[in-house]
Amino acid sequence: MSSLTRTGDDRLYWRAQGERNRGLMGLFAVVAAFLALYAYLFPGLLSVAGVSKFAQSWLPLALVAMAQAILMLTGGISLAIGATVSLGAVIAATTMSGYFGVAGGIVAVSASGLAIGALCGVIAIRLRLPAIIVTLAASFIIGGLALLILPRPGGAIPGWFSDLLAGNTPAALGLVFLVALLWKLYLATPLGLSLYAAGENPVGAYRAGVPVDAARIAAYAISGLLSTLAGLFIAAQTGSGDPVIGQAFTLNSIAAAVLGGVGFLGGRGTMRGAIAGSLLLSVMINVMFFLGFPPVAQYVAQGLIIIGAVALPQLTARFRRRP
Amino acid sequence: MTPQAIIKANGLSKSFFGNPVLQNVSIALEPGRIHALLGENGAGKSTLINLLSGALAPDGGEIEIDGRSHRRLTPSEARRAGIAVVQQELSLTSDLSIAENIGLGAYPRRFGLIDYKALARKAREVCDLVGLEENLSTPVGDLPLGRRQMVEIAKALFRKPRILVLDEPTSSLSAHEAQTLTRLLQRLRQEGTAILYISHRLNEVMRLCEHVTVLKDGKVTADRSLQGVDAAGLVRLMVGRDPGDLFPHWTPSPERQTIVEVAGFSSGLLRDIDLDIKRGEILGLGGLVGQGQEDLLLGLYGALPASARRAVFNNVAGLPSSVSRANALGLAYVPADRKREGLHLIHSIAWNMMLPDFGKARGLSRRDPAAERKLATELADRLSIKGDLTRQVQALSGGNQQKVALAKWMPADPPILLLNDPTRGVDVETKREIYVLLRRFAAQGKAIVLSSSDTPELVHLCDRVAVMREGGIAALLEREQISEEAIVAAAMGAEAAKVAA
Repeated sequence: MSSLTRTGDDRLYWRAQGERNRGLMGLFAVVAAFLALYAYLFPGLLSVAGVSKFAQSWLPLALVAMAQAILMLTGGISLAIGATVSLGAVIAATTMSGYFGVAGGIVAVSASGLAIGALCGVIAIRLRLPAIIVTLAASFIIGGLALLILPRPGGAIPGWFSDLLAGNTPAALGLVFLVALLWKLYLATPLGLSLYAAGENPVGAYRAGVPVDAARIAAYAISGLLSTLAGLFIAAQTGSGDPVIGQAFTLNSIAAAVLGGVGFLGGRGTMRGAIAGSLLLSVMINVMFFLGFPPVAQYVAQGLIIIGAVALPQLTARFRRRP
Repeated sequence: MTPQAIIKANGLSKSFFGNPVLQNVSIALEPGRIHALLGENGAGKSTLINLLSGALAPDGGEIEIDGRSHRRLTPSEARRAGIAVVQQELSLTSDLSIAENIGLGAYPRRFGLIDYKALARKAREVCDLVGLEENLSTPVGDLPLGRRQMVEIAKALFRKPRILVLDEPTSSLSAHEAQTLTRLLQRLRQEGTAILYISHRLNEVMRLCEHVTVLKDGKVTADRSLQGVDAAGLVRLMVGRDPGDLFPHWTPSPERQTIVEVAGFSSGLLRDIDLDIKRGEILGLGGLVGQGQEDLLLGLYGALPASARRAVFNNVAGLPSSVSRANALGLAYVPADRKREGLHLIHSIAWNMMLPDFGKARGLSRRDPAAERKLATELADRLSIKGDLTRQVQALSGGNQQKVALAKWMPADPPILLLNDPTRGVDVETKREIYVLLRRFAAQGKAIVLSSSDTPELVHLCDRVAVMREGGIAALLEREQISEEAIVAAAMGAEAAKVAA
């Protein structure tokens, strides 16, 4: 039997990518609708300055949503994201104005994120401890570390760097695309793609020769890196470091990932979904602000939307089973 | 004489928690031969596969590959030696595409990235072999079970194995898919692959294989050519151990009044079953694992949605709609997985035995410690549970745990007991005690439904045996018809005439 190439085999990568969009079309439509509503309410959005400002408010949430989603793909979850964001912010604010300058600061922030993430990963994976407990403990330690480095808001980010990232340029939007592209590259490596198998069916993956532990620990390291980079961006935005600025991001990152269709049990979901989820959350907050919702109503609406997003697939599945 | 074996296991032994699962097992796989491995549930087949693929380390014996002996074979050594296993339970990732699943763990690379072009080419090759026409980019989660099984087989072929182990590959395949698989295996045999084939379908084994190894209770009872053996002969090789005096003498109970009657009963896997259960009898449920035995018990117990054209429980019409309703009707259920479903391991023996009472108590009524202690001691006496009743249940042996799971229902004195494999993982002495207890219950006029994966138990303990197959009752054997041969034959769909010969 000769091996016949069927139509589409030569474009396997793109077709496989396309398949992953399928469950997300509804989400993309909702995101587009909210964006349109936002643009209608606030025509200023459709300008370089408007896009720049919006992207700057969105980027940190996009980064932490990715940081959370990658851990949820391994079957874990992180409660340390907010603390890690804070740590990234204070390290950036204390190192960038120092001897090694901006470049040294970026290296320090990245290295600490990778190291902290990898350490959490080694503890959770090697000792077979539940991720939720390990990262809860880590959130206290990391948060304490941030307060130790900078007990009260302070430090400084060089003005030109702040202007570059958070000035009147759409640099933040470019960064979102860059990070998404890097994730695509990672997912095209054997280790990256193995994450799905390691998350959904670790025993099966191990039997197939996947380095399950390595794939999961790498995911923790990448998650830490994304979190501290989010902190760096926030520090650049505000021009200084705040040791508790990240707190809200822990739960918001989970909310964004869940909105994006990332499953809690591992191996289910996509990064593009998580990014879209974070975009939806950002736009929603902005729209509700423009509609004059009081802050309390915003929180309640946010909660209702999240529970609705999770319950919807369950309800439709139940309807389909019982015609 | 014959071609050199690629892989040879010599005198393998393995125990789990002091329970020997394999004893001195030897097997040799030769290139260009399809070797069948047969045995009942729990005979040790899966353990043997796990030893051959390096997933488990043997306690004794060695594995020889191409003449080199390994005391401790690691999974990666086994893979490099060309051993590929198609496991019974699927190991696929539903969010990845067919091709990405097939290549998992062995992706072709280019500059550190997965080479999707090469992956598509190679995956298409093996998909052609197993007859998978689907687009390679289809997520595996979209495929029906049988197609997933074919992906699993393609995944094993992707590594170009010299030794292919298939653990019940046809259990979820359609007839057409099974045919494709047969052709494929015949082709691989011609190309010189050594194949180990595990199946519960005897006809398939007879058609496909040349050589057979039969395991019974962890020992090899036959290692021979299949020439001149018929299905009845194979069944005889798999059963027929000496029951010894493990079982109490069977005497019919005086009372044989029907207490449960269902007609057109459906629940879970089950479709349209008629069954009646009588007082004073032990009704056995036999068959291969997962043919609907548990669904039947849970459906009767109100723990699984069920429907029936007609149902009478203890003179009350209708199916119990919930567990507490079933309890009120006089049913009690002892689950197979006592650690997860039957007991609360970290609580004391006495606490576990009181649990059904707690469930019935009115909210916020006071507990009576003295009465509880008295009842617990009585129950422990009746079921000969030894030692301090304030110990945690997890400190007990499997057998004693099972007795606690049984004991907790005794105060209510339920006339109908549904038991799901009560002697699994229980030592011989306790097994005997449980058997005696069950016969005594029957003599007292209780109705007992006993689902068991242990065929001798069904033969020596039961008044009637319903053999389940694919969600139906394949045969309902009366006392004088019950034999291991008859049960195994009905479970595997071999024709009764052949067995009787």
